Amino acid sequence: MTPEWIRFYITAGLITIALTGFAFSVIGVWRFDYILNRMHAGGIGDTFSLFFIVSGLMVSASAPIVILKLLLPLLFMWFSSPTSTHFLSQTEYYTSGHLFDHVRRRNSGDTNGH
Amino acid sequence: MKKIFQKLESLSSSEIMGNILDGSTEPDPSREQLKEIKKETIKNLEETPDFEAIVERQRNSFKYLYFTAAFIGSVCLIGVLLYLVSMLPQYGVENPRTVEVVKRYVEHGLEETGAVNIVSGMILDYRAFDTLGESHVLFTALICVNILLRIDIKNMRTDYEDYYTIKRDVYYDMSHDGILRLAALVFSPCILTFGIYVLLNGQISPGGGFSGGAVLGAGLILMSAGFGFDKVDKIFTLKINNIVTFSALTFYSFAKGYVFFTGANGIENHIPKGTPGAILSGGLILPLDIAVGIVVACTMFGFYSLFRRGSVASKVND
Repeated sequence: MTPEWIRFYITAGLITIALTGFAFSVIGVWRFDYILNRMHAGGIGDTFSLFFIVSGLMVSASAPIVILKLLLPLLFMWFSSPTSTHFLSQTEYYTSGHLFDHVRRRNSGDTNGH
Repeated sequence: MKKIFQKLESLSSSEIMGNILDGSTEPDPSREQLKEIKKETIKNLEETPDFEAIVERQRNSFKYLYFTAAFIGSVCLIGVLLYLVSMLPQYGVENPRTVEVVKRYVEHGLEETGAVNIVSGMILDYRAFDTLGESHVLFTALICVNILLRIDIKNMRTDYEDYYTIKRDVYYDMSHDGILRLAALVFSPCILTFGIYVLLNGQISPGGGFSGGAVLGAGLILMSAGFGFDKVDKIFTLKINNIVTFSALTFYSFAKGYVFFTGANGIENHIPKGTPGAILSGGLILPLDIAVGIVVACTMFGFYSLFRRGSVASKVND
């Protein structure tokens, strides 16, 4: 078992984890009805799966400059995707008329969730 | 129904008035008569045409016609397209008519334009007239949005409108949000630097005016969203936007007009090409790239601010 093969197996494992995450993410985006649930599913793909796929590619890359270049989109996505998700959920919270059909407040003492 | 109306019309006014004036009332109808009247009314109602059914029938017939026409049209279109496909040159076989221009661009592009990135050489040298039109299309779109959406003291109708616009802008303003502020703080310098990098390296690497300008515009939008319009207003107003766009387009038009004029008349144009691969190379391509990028960035940011608040500058407040 040469180091090249070990590296290949590590890469393959990481990318498999990432693809599984993407599969869950896609299924969630298609199957859920409400925007906050779908955003959660999409966020899994954007952060979790992206991290594993980029780290798999980083393990397989040999040149340090390539590893640095791969790190940049990961950082960019880890900043920008949660920010945009935050704003989407804020907009939904402030403007939606049907928010409490889907969301229940904890410890409010109200069984209807209002 | 029709018959009832006809009966009413046939009675002259004097007859009706006479009846009333005489005080002579008809005796109340008996049960049999009432039944007859009822029957007659129902009969009349049944005889009236059913307008909804007529409309439905017409709609159905139109639907039928529409589907038939669509089917025939699609079949004809498919036939024509398949016929044309059969006339295309075979894949992989060299076709001298279509390859001629491509060959010229690929083989002589570097020495004729001085640009390593052959796409930049094409769009800003061989086909600069096309790019000039595209930039003017952007400028025209900006002018139209300006005309339609701009809010100014001169064209403001009431003070209330002014107040309402500002209130709405403040209400939707997200710049007090810490998360967005941090993201804008981290990202906007990187995005702006990257935009300038793409813009300046248009002739030696993938990129150029349009992509670099789009990145720059996105960076400006992020800045204004994250820090509020007040910060951006200090360096960038609608007037500056218009002046910068106008001067960039004027520069483009005159520079390219000079090259077209000299080229068409066979005169030397004295623009140095530089060494291919260096930043200062490619003759006019670098300045033209910068001009196009400025136009694109100004258009994007102008669109954003005009749609968002009806003005690029905050001069509405005073």
